[in-house]
Amino acid sequence: MDKKVLKLLPKLLIPAVIFALLIFPSCPAGTPEISSYTIADSTGDWGYPSPYAHYSRGPGYIRMSFIFETLVWKDASGFIPQLAEEWEYVAEENAYIFKLRDDVTWHDGEKFSAEDVVFTIEYVKNHPNPFVTLIGPSGVRETIAIDGYTVKLYLEQPYAPFLNGVAGTLPIIPKHIWEGVDDPKSLTGPEAVIGTGPYTLADYSKEHGTYLYKAYGDYYLGKPFVDEIKFVKISEEMIPAALKGGSVSAGDIPPEVVSEMEQAGLTVITAPVAWNAKLTINHRKEPMSSKQFRQALAYAIDREALVQITQRGYGIAGSPGMVPPTSDWYNPDTPQYEYDRAKTRGLLEGLGYELEDSYFTKDGEELELELIAEASFKEVGQFIKQRLEEAGIKVDFRTMEAKTVDAKVEAWDFDLSIYGHGSLYEPSILKRVIMDEGFNSTRYTSNEKLSQLLQAQLSEMDAEKRKELVFQIQEIYADDLPALTLYYPKWYWAHDGNVNLFYTKDGLASGIPIPLNRLSFVKEQK
Amino acid sequence: MFSKGNIVTYVIAFLFILALNFFLPRMMPGDPLMAIYGDEALIAMTPELKAELVERFALDQPLWQQLGAYFGALFQGELGHSYYYNAPVLPVILGRLPWTLLLVGSSLVLSTVLGITLGIESGWRRGSKTDRSMLAGLMGLNGFPDFFLGMLLLIAFGVTWGIFPLAGALTPYSGLSGLALLLDILRHLFLPVAALTLAHLAGGYLLTRNTMITVLKEPYMLTAKAKGLSQRVLKYRHAGRNSMLPVVTQTGIWMGRVVTGALFVELVFAYPGVGYLTYEALLARDYPIIQGVFLMVAVSVLVINFLIDLSYPKLDPRVSYAY
Repeated sequence: MDKKVLKLLPKLLIPAVIFALLIFPSCPAGTPEISSYTIADSTGDWGYPSPYAHYSRGPGYIRMSFIFETLVWKDASGFIPQLAEEWEYVAEENAYIFKLRDDVTWHDGEKFSAEDVVFTIEYVKNHPNPFVTLIGPSGVRETIAIDGYTVKLYLEQPYAPFLNGVAGTLPIIPKHIWEGVDDPKSLTGPEAVIGTGPYTLADYSKEHGTYLYKAYGDYYLGKPFVDEIKFVKISEEMIPAALKGGSVSAGDIPPEVVSEMEQAGLTVITAPVAWNAKLTINHRKEPMSSKQFRQALAYAIDREALVQITQRGYGIAGSPGMVPPTSDWYNPDTPQYEYDRAKTRGLLEGLGYELEDSYFTKDGEELELELIAEASFKEVGQFIKQRLEEAGIKVDFRTMEAKTVDAKVEAWDFDLSIYGHGSLYEPSILKRVIMDEGFNSTRYTSNEKLSQLLQAQLSEMDAEKRKELVFQIQEIYADDLPALTLYYPKWYWAHDGNVNLFYTKDGLASGIPIPLNRLSFVKEQK
Repeated sequence: MFSKGNIVTYVIAFLFILALNFFLPRMMPGDPLMAIYGDEALIAMTPELKAELVERFALDQPLWQQLGAYFGALFQGELGHSYYYNAPVLPVILGRLPWTLLLVGSSLVLSTVLGITLGIESGWRRGSKTDRSMLAGLMGLNGFPDFFLGMLLLIAFGVTWGIFPLAGALTPYSGLSGLALLLDILRHLFLPVAALTLAHLAGGYLLTRNTMITVLKEPYMLTAKAKGLSQRVLKYRHAGRNSMLPVVTQTGIWMGRVVTGALFVELVFAYPGVGYLTYEALLARDYPIIQGVFLMVAVSVLVINFLIDLSYPKLDPRVSYAY
């Protein structure tokens, strides 16, 4: 009797295990034709995929872009027609003319026409879209429908990234649905996801972070060859296992598992770098206000070693011009500041510093700088501290909560800080992070030439001339060094090869570095 | 049985928590709007929206009026608006709550029942081989944090053997319904529940076993034995029940953290609960959600404490005399 309960335990456990095994269903069988394609995502929920309710981040835009289309679009090599068959820029009138397709229908059967485009532009002026601003420099002064399938957009001022940032990013919405909608963010019914795209939304679950798309049978380029696309949520660490097990078809993977994935027969692709981490220098405070001092700092930081040590080699060393070496806009003549402690010493001595014991001093005071960063930059910060101290500059490195770092940088209450941002594909980012306001900008306006160039490249409509300006910007910026780009991390995706995923030229829409272009699912890409 | 003083203590604690929730974002460096709305505010903020928010939170008014506005909104059930989710905070949290309750609830019941049963059995036969091996085994388990057990289970049963799914609370778009759907949910629940149960089993077991050993020496046990009661009655009704008090306290403490108690396990299994939501909110710096969860945790700790206070006299009437 004594052991009754103990004896009972196995009796309970065995049925429990059998039960557990029973509830395991048979493996889903892989089918040769593509009836379903599953994409893994570690965040899952990116909002309801309407043009206004999705979260204002790249993955949110992508989920919307399967349903809604833009005037022009991009494939792996550049701009291609989408809703507009052809377009031209009329320089003397500063206007774009778009000739639209006449065979497009909305998912509810209504015909698409120039009216919808005119409406969308007016609507977005009143209801800012998180990805497109139509007021100010990137704005459209007037839109007219020349006929049922031709629209003419008069720009506020010449705006170089217009095709990329506006025509290729702004989702066109149906006039007959959005006409009476005052609060577009709250429109989350089925009517909010009626677009012209190759897919329609069949389901969205906020809690589970899942999306289900079905191919739109009447799509004007023919029914997509992938019937069903699913987005499912899987934790970052489990995506490689799910890919190998075949339960998902594609997903982003950490760089460490690249070779393991390739051995398992998966296709691995890597994006042209799109993000950089930089050392922001307080150029309004002594002694960092001296250009030579900032250059001395740059010579002391070995960026190649930084990539090897802190990024385990999965990245590219930063170019002081910010534009990555993989970009078409990269100027190969940008000053590089190859690691050279002797140059640091020379520059600092030129500024009146003397190397005593292990650190530089000036007027009896030891040179000490404060470096702040949020915790995710801990290794990078420690590396910089170590290198600067080896070169004779004492560093007090502190990690703090991100908001505190931002607030201190915003208030110029720092010496050095580490900060990261993306959008490196399109040079318009340069103005925003070099001279515009905000903690995420160096707010460097003391070099008039640089400010003028930054302004001029935005309105230079000739691509070759613009490139020339961007080249000059890199040289001046790298020479003045209000901030130093440290590294560009590499990102990887793995997929089963059934659909040819690719990275869009200069990123999807205004520059999203994710290889989920809806074109991959419409027609088989080579 | 339950004094007024006690209730007053709870009310004071509750108000203190509310006040903390109000003052914390306003004490953070920088613009309080940023602290109240997080990163998203920076992206979505238009001058009109900013004016509306400043008015809604009375941010242009003295602090005591802001406090009034805050309490006013709170009593209408408004915990704030998450700009990241583009939705009010309360429904976002409530959408995740059932999954957390399912996960934490099942493991709480399992670990408590198993812990008490094993504790009683082990304490009853103190010093025997069974007792010693159980003690060593469970002490060992106690050393593992729940997420680590979760990872071990996931790697073994999910990745290596593929018996259980790798993530989530159900198979998305499997087209299952009824019993098949229930089984699918249970299949997804199995590993996270196992991880939580194993990690928390030892606590209940050790407490019960210890008290059991003390209780067995009590004179009333001798009386009960002398009455010729069966061993089962002796073990469970006389000794067992009296050994439960500390376990109830411990279970209560854990229950109070029910909302976020499974944060790490939810993370490991990408389980769509409140813990995971908290983690995502931290990553996105979605302060309204973080504050909402914080308030919920604080309130549930208070409620559970209150319930435990109420249940003590039922388990052991001697507790009432202590007041």
